Order: sequence, then structure tokens, then C-alpha cells
Amino acid sequence: MKAIVDCNSFYCSCERVFRPDLENKPVVVLSNNDGCIISISNEAKALGIDMAVPYFQVREAIEKNGIETFSSNYNLYGDLSRRVMDTLKALVGEARVEVYSVDEAFLDLDHIAKNDLQDFSRTIRETVEQWTGVSVSVGTGETKVLAKVANRLVKKLRLPSKTLVLDSEDATTQALQRTLVKDLWGIGRRYAVKLNEWNIHTAWELKHMSEDWARTHLGGVIGARMIEELNGRQAILMQDELANKKMIATTRMFGTAVTELKDIKEAVATYTTRAAEKLRRQHSAASMISVFVIPRQPAGTPSYRQGGQARSSYATLHSPTSLTHELIKPAMEMATQLYRKGERYSKAGVTLSGLVPDSSIQSSLFNECGNNQNRELMLMLDNINFSMRNDVIKYAAAGIDKQWKMRQEFRSPRYTSRWDELPGVR
Amino acid sequence: MEWDNLYGASFEGTRKFTQQDVHTLNASGFGAAADDFSERGIDLNEQLIFNKPSTFFFRMNGDAMEGAGIENGDVLIVDKSLKATNGKIIVASVNGELVVRRLQQTIKGYTLVAGNQRYENIDVGEFTQFNVFGLVTCVIHILEKGLLDNDRPQKGKKKLYGS
Repeated sequence: MKAIVDCNSFYCSCERVFRPDLENKPVVVLSNNDGCIISISNEAKALGIDMAVPYFQVREAIEKNGIETFSSNYNLYGDLSRRVMDTLKALVGEARVEVYSVDEAFLDLDHIAKNDLQDFSRTIRETVEQWTGVSVSVGTGETKVLAKVANRLVKKLRLPSKTLVLDSEDATTQALQRTLVKDLWGIGRRYAVKLNEWNIHTAWELKHMSEDWARTHLGGVIGARMIEELNGRQAILMQDELANKKMIATTRMFGTAVTELKDIKEAVATYTTRAAEKLRRQHSAASMISVFVIPRQPAGTPSYRQGGQARSSYATLHSPTSLTHELIKPAMEMATQLYRKGERYSKAGVTLSGLVPDSSIQSSLFNECGNNQNRELMLMLDNINFSMRNDVIKYAAAGIDKQWKMRQEFRSPRYTSRWDELPGVR
Repeated sequence: MEWDNLYGASFEGTRKFTQQDVHTLNASGFGAAADDFSERGIDLNEQLIFNKPSTFFFRMNGDAMEGAGIENGDVLIVDKSLKATNGKIIVASVNGELVVRRLQQTIKGYTLVAGNQRYENIDVGEFTQFNVFGLVTCVIHILEKGLLDNDRPQKGKKKLYGS
């Protein structure tokens, strides 16, 4: 059997851990830059606030209803997420946990007797809540897809136990009959429409289609796997953690629209620095760098929110590198080349790709004596910035006053990662 | 600590110092025998943290627990996984506020007792919103706060304690 453990309104739940006064109160969390709503508590949902709505559209309703609003506090969410995952690993063993996202994990429960699963699911839920203060729901089924079905029903039916185990034929059948194909894990909107055209509406109906049919009509192997999983045969296996990323991207929305080349260059330099740090942390070097900017569309046009078409450019580095200054140089050239006077930009980003292990850098023919010193410089830079926090040493290209930086009006303290922001008790 | 590397690239910064890096002497003469006995150094985490995912730090504000060895500005190490029982010092939320008190079981229910006589007991009644956050397992009381301040490189931070 497989289980999925899913944190309920994760970011809101995190904000409540050190704020017991927010228990049972409506809470929303805004995206980077306070752009739109990315997490809502049940109480806020009941007041008619929706996910992914731009903040300015619902600001009035939020203020009128006294809904507590937070800017995203990723230091806090990251820390609590790690605690949740560590708790799960303590419960079932590290090898049986697949961290699926910041607030979801699959558990391999094949080693637990079927009779014990009800109790065990409850133990998981209670232990995570007790240890970390984050509330979770647990769905359990024969396969990952069925576990997801169970978990969705836990939330939809607001089951008080916050757990559901599909451990019998009967329970599974009922669950599948109550699940529409569009709500299945892995069925996108396009396939859902297609399935409806075939007159397949519930997961129960889909379960009885043949694998061959799925192979031709439902995206080949992936469709066939879906049918197998619905029938209780494990076809989607537990995945190992992604050890190293294949690509590193740093992109942000700007706090206010940026018009000056100087500001764009500063932003791109900062993102490049951040990306290069990530690159060195996983001991990789990049052979390609790309930069994009997104100009803002005039207010009132349909694409105003997302901004217009991204304009991008890329450069191949003549040997793979992880040195910030070797990456900043082409990035600056590309930023200059992408910039057009008179445009207002809402977003920019840097992507490093073609990643190779950094041990291969040393074999570069050119530049053979300088490189080791450069790497020591980078190591020193990273160590100082890591130990002091808040980039103490940075490249001048990244600017000093950063007028374009993120807007975070309502961020809560970083309770778990800063000595001077610890929660207070009386 | 690798003092020889203090100004070198491999100096990890004091904050990352794990107390576990054992340095061998590599002496050419007599001292080499000591290398056979080098072992992992003392790590404060081993003594102070029992269950990492459930351990949280709090800052004491005020003198409510002075008699119980917790002073204004101390750091409390709180383990959420441990059960609060009669007589234990706990962090709990009472009507939406976080407090640290000694838990006392009475016939009627619970009473939260301060460690300072100037503070009144908090009786947990039927209508009190009461939740135990966790058990206070350790108190970090720093005597030389001046040193701490200098060791704190964040800019513009004069205040030592949280709000």
C-alpha cells in the first residue's frame, strides 16, 4: 500500500504554528512580491476568497472581513517542510519516503499489515501534528493514484479523522465512483475533456477501460499506467530524490515595474549570483546561460497580469564554469541586448543549463593557473555569505540599493532560522 | 577549530563550526601517538536537542519564571514531541497567547503556575483556549551578552531580544 501525506493549506498552517491567536481565524498568504493569493485557510475560503487571485482585486474584501494576510516567508515554510519530512522519515524509514513537493510526500507502506493501516495512518497524522504543529491529511490506497484519490476525498468530505484508507474492494469502488476523471492525479484538463467526450466521467468508469485502449487514446505508456494503478496494481514506482538538478533557474517578479537598463542589469546580476551559488552548492558547472526579460503589457489588456511575451537570449560558455564573474559577464551583455528603452519590465530571470560535475572544470586548457585560485575565491565568498547570512560580500554589478527588489509588506518573523526573530513567550 | 585556516578559503566561518572536526597533529616526532586517540569533539546539539524535527527555540520575555531559573532574554529549547505532565515547565497557548509556566494538575483541571510570586496563577477553565505547545527541556542563559552582540554580524541589529 502507498500513502500520501499532504499538509492542509500548508503556508497558512505554518503561519499559525507560532500564532495560536490565528486558530480558526481566516488567513491568506500572498506570493512573492505580494502579487496574488497562494494559500488560503478554510475560514478564508468560506468567506469567498479564491486561490491565485491577484491581491489588489480582493484587498477590500480581505480588509473588510479582517482576514489575516501574510507575505510569503519561505525561510519558515522551508524549515517546517523539512521537519514534516524528517518526522515521516523517522516513522517509516528514510528509504520509504518520497518527497513529492514542499507540502506532500508519498510513503511506501508495503511493510505494514493491511489490518494495521487505519491505526498507522492516524499515527502518522497525529505524530506530524504533534511534532511540527503542521496539520496534515493522509490518504492510503493500493497505489499512488489510489492514495491520491483517498487524500482528495479526505479534504473534500472534511473527514474529521483527516485520514482515509482504501483497504477494501468496497471502499475503493465507492471512492472511485465519487471521483471525476478531471480530479485524478496526472489527468490534465485536456485529457479530462477528451475523456468526457468518450463518455467517461468518473474514475470508476476509467478503471474499466483496457490498457490497450489507454495506450492509444490516453498518452501511451502513461495512460496504461493510470489504468493499472486504478486497478490496484502498482505501476508508478517510488522515486529517489533528485540528487542534482539538471538546470538551475532564478527568476522573480519586480516589486515595481523597472524601466532603466541599470536596474535590469542589477537584477540580472543578482539572479546570476544566486544561481551560481546554487550551482556551486551541488558541485556543478554550467555550460550554458540564458537570460530573459518580460515587458509589462499596458493596463487593461488581457495579458496585463502575466506580462507579455518573454524575450530571451542565451550564450554558450566556452568551457563549463561555476564562477560568478564568468557568468555575470555574458549575462550583462545579454541583458543590455534584450533591453529596449521605453519598455517597462515586470520580470526577469537567469537559467543555467548544460550542467556537468565541477571536477571537469580543472581540465580546461586555457586559464590553467587561474582557476584554482578562482575556486578558492568562490569558496571563501560562499562561506562568508553563508556564515554571515544576507549577502555581506557581493558583486558590484548586483547593485547596492536594489530599488527593484521584492515587496514583502506582511512577512512574519523567521521564527526558526534567526536568533533575533525567535518567537517570544511571557 | 582549524585556526591555521582562519584567513584561508576553507575557513567555514564560526557559525558553521561543528566541533566535530578532529585535527590530527601530524607531528613528525613524538606527538604522533596522540593521533591514535583523536575522536569526535563535543557537539552541543547532542546534549541540548533530543529530537530535531520537533525542537523549537523561544525567547523569554519578562520575569514570570525567574524563580524557576528562566530569566528575561534567555533562550528556551522546547520539544514538541514530549508529553507535558504534572510539574513540568511547558510552553502553552492560553487564549491565543504563548506563555511559559509550570503545569499543575488539580482536581478541577489544570493550573499554570509562574515562577515569580508577583504573577497570578492561570486557571485553565472550561472556556479557556488552552493548548500545550511543548515541554521546555533546556534554558540557554548567556552571561557575557556583550560577546554575543559583537559576534552578531547583522547590520543595524542593536536589540538583543525579540519583541
